[in-house]
Amino acid sequence: MRKGKRIMSAVLAIAMLGSFTACSGGNPMASSSNAPASAASGTAAAGSSAKQENVTLTFMASQDWIQDAEMKLGAEFEKQTGIKIDYQIIPSAQYTSLLMTKLNAGECPDIFGNQSGRFDIQTQLNVEKNAVDLSSENWAGNVDKAAAEELSVNGKLYGQPIQDVSSVWAVAYNKNIFKDLSIQIPKTYAEFKSTCEKIKTKKITPIYECVSDGWHHTLWLPELGPVIEAANPGLSDKLNNNKATFAGNSTMQLILTQIKEMASLGYWGNNYMSNKYADSAKNIASGKYAMTIANQGFGEEVHKADPKFKADNIGYFVMPLADNQILNVNPCGPSRFIYKNSKNIDAAKKYLEFMASDSSLKYMTDNVSKFNKLPYSNAPSKYTDTIKDFYARYPKTGTVYQTAVKYVTPQWANIGSDISALLLGEEKPDEVLKNIDKNRAQQAKAAKDSAWN
Amino acid sequence: MNKSKTYPLYFTFGALLLYTILFVLPGIFGIGYSFTDWSAYSDKLNFVGLANFKTIFSADENYFKILTNTLAFTLVTTVLKNALGLLMAVLLTKHIKLLNFHRGVMFMPSVLSTLIIGMIFTSILDPSIGLLNTFLNSIGLGALAKPWLTTSEFAFGSVMAVDIWKGVGYIMTILIAGILSISPTYYEAANIDGANSFQVFRKITFPLLLPTLATTTVLNVIYGLKIFDMVYAMTNGGPGKATTEVLYTAVFKMFSTGQYAVGTALSSVMFLFMVIIGYFMIRVMTRNEVIE
Repeated sequence: MRKGKRIMSAVLAIAMLGSFTACSGGNPMASSSNAPASAASGTAAAGSSAKQENVTLTFMASQDWIQDAEMKLGAEFEKQTGIKIDYQIIPSAQYTSLLMTKLNAGECPDIFGNQSGRFDIQTQLNVEKNAVDLSSENWAGNVDKAAAEELSVNGKLYGQPIQDVSSVWAVAYNKNIFKDLSIQIPKTYAEFKSTCEKIKTKKITPIYECVSDGWHHTLWLPELGPVIEAANPGLSDKLNNNKATFAGNSTMQLILTQIKEMASLGYWGNNYMSNKYADSAKNIASGKYAMTIANQGFGEEVHKADPKFKADNIGYFVMPLADNQILNVNPCGPSRFIYKNSKNIDAAKKYLEFMASDSSLKYMTDNVSKFNKLPYSNAPSKYTDTIKDFYARYPKTGTVYQTAVKYVTPQWANIGSDISALLLGEEKPDEVLKNIDKNRAQQAKAAKDSAWN
Repeated sequence: MNKSKTYPLYFTFGALLLYTILFVLPGIFGIGYSFTDWSAYSDKLNFVGLANFKTIFSADENYFKILTNTLAFTLVTTVLKNALGLLMAVLLTKHIKLLNFHRGVMFMPSVLSTLIIGMIFTSILDPSIGLLNTFLNSIGLGALAKPWLTTSEFAFGSVMAVDIWKGVGYIMTILIAGILSISPTYYEAANIDGANSFQVFRKITFPLLLPTLATTTVLNVIYGLKIFDMVYAMTNGGPGKATTEVLYTAVFKMFSTGQYAVGTALSSVMFLFMVIIGYFMIRVMTRNEVIE
């Protein structure tokens, strides 16, 4: 009897230990926001220009969203106002999970970054509940219309664009290597393959791809939305109304098969699973790799990595999988949002106003090589001839699928896992697509989307 | 009334109340929520029966793999931490030079943050520029340089190896305390009888250390079933779909996508799992215990 009691008590102790942790929702990464709420923020609210002390704003964003130039501006902002910005940069593969956990736990930093997108900021972020309405801010009218629409819900603006959204994700290539090997810009997948083969013969890895970041290799699928749409006109509408699925779509299957083939044929080299996006400019500059998927500021980044490498030696062409020749445009990009339950809303609004000022936008454009034109009417432009030629080469444009189709952006990391499973041979193309459908359905049902319920 | 009791029963009420509020009730609420459609997308809560459990156990979900991964992690790390911990504990209770220094070095990894260790090892195990492969290549053992964290073949083994490296010092410390509490008279008697080291270990140290080993096993099993941070920092469940996915990384992903109810259902399965394992483990371990 006594033995039985001992067993029971020990079992209960273990079980309760387990249940307690299980019910906590698991947020071991959640750090306390070190934003001392003080009366000082009240002073900011009054719009006082007097220097204030003891306000620290926390700004959480994914890796690569906050540039050094922004941090320098943040230091300048602190000098002017006394408001300190604590930038919390999170590895991109973990960012969405962490942000959602923090929002759901009610422990979100004062300012948080997230991709814009009219569907996702409503269903995933629930901005009406979690973010501050910024429509009446002085800078709100300066945001480009297309970018503002992707940051608005029911006519109210909730976010502020961080990055240049005019540029598109395309194949950035080393013009010198192409010239040496007499390679023309490929227009079909077959031509692209022969380009890669030619490059391989010179012991150069054709493409720098980085799977470990979790997001970059995912670009190869949703960014080809325009060619998928062209093959199936009206597909994005059908997907949004739950009248079509990703699974069974022959164009998407073809794209995934070609992604797998590129890796299998060695076009991505040996280390694509562990390569990092942060090293892409350095690797292209070294000449060890000939191409990578990048934005139009990439030439400047390569030049920065190696001053001998001229920015104009990087050219661009659209990803030619499924013989795509349509320019993939996307008015969405990383944006700043103010957390609705922040104790420093007014100080945060001041920071956003500072970042959207003429001088800050000029400073960011001048100092961030990949920014050519920030989406504000008061931002300067610095397009080069190479970039103008690239845009002019593709008169036909189409919207990428993470913007055109609901519930794609929130599962970006999941699509990344599925594509890496495809690369490892654990999944087949249609299984990847089935999983995308499954995740979309789960999110839509949870969001009580009428098309799914 | 039992007169041997020193204190009356109501003395336990305060502790029981706190225990109930802080441990029992959240547990019951958690299980209750797993039968609803609780999510980040809606403020309304509806009863959905076993729908969330059906999702978890449906054929097109990966949860069986996740359960197996968690069990494999628990089993491997428990056995190896105990075995290596015991070996080191035996070595570090001998009369050797700089004894405390050696003990300190072995214990050191246990003090460090798991997340930091995870991040450092992600860099050490990088296939192209990582310290390990660079070292192996430089001494002519390039054939042993593998993509440690980026292939399904090695990723889980690498995560377990790092976890064992981190945890073995802690287990060693507990076992050293156990060994030092064994009365020296046994060893003196064995010495007089002419027993060799192995016989001393087999007939004296090991049997008398069994209760301590039972404790370290329980600690390791609970730790293994709840593993999260090491996997999160090193592979985040990857590479691929679920190579290193364990229960808590899966629960974390559910919660982070706002699907609270499915996440809670998975936690409830985990709860049941731990009760069953805990029950059998303690039954087995208390089977031969003498009750005074």
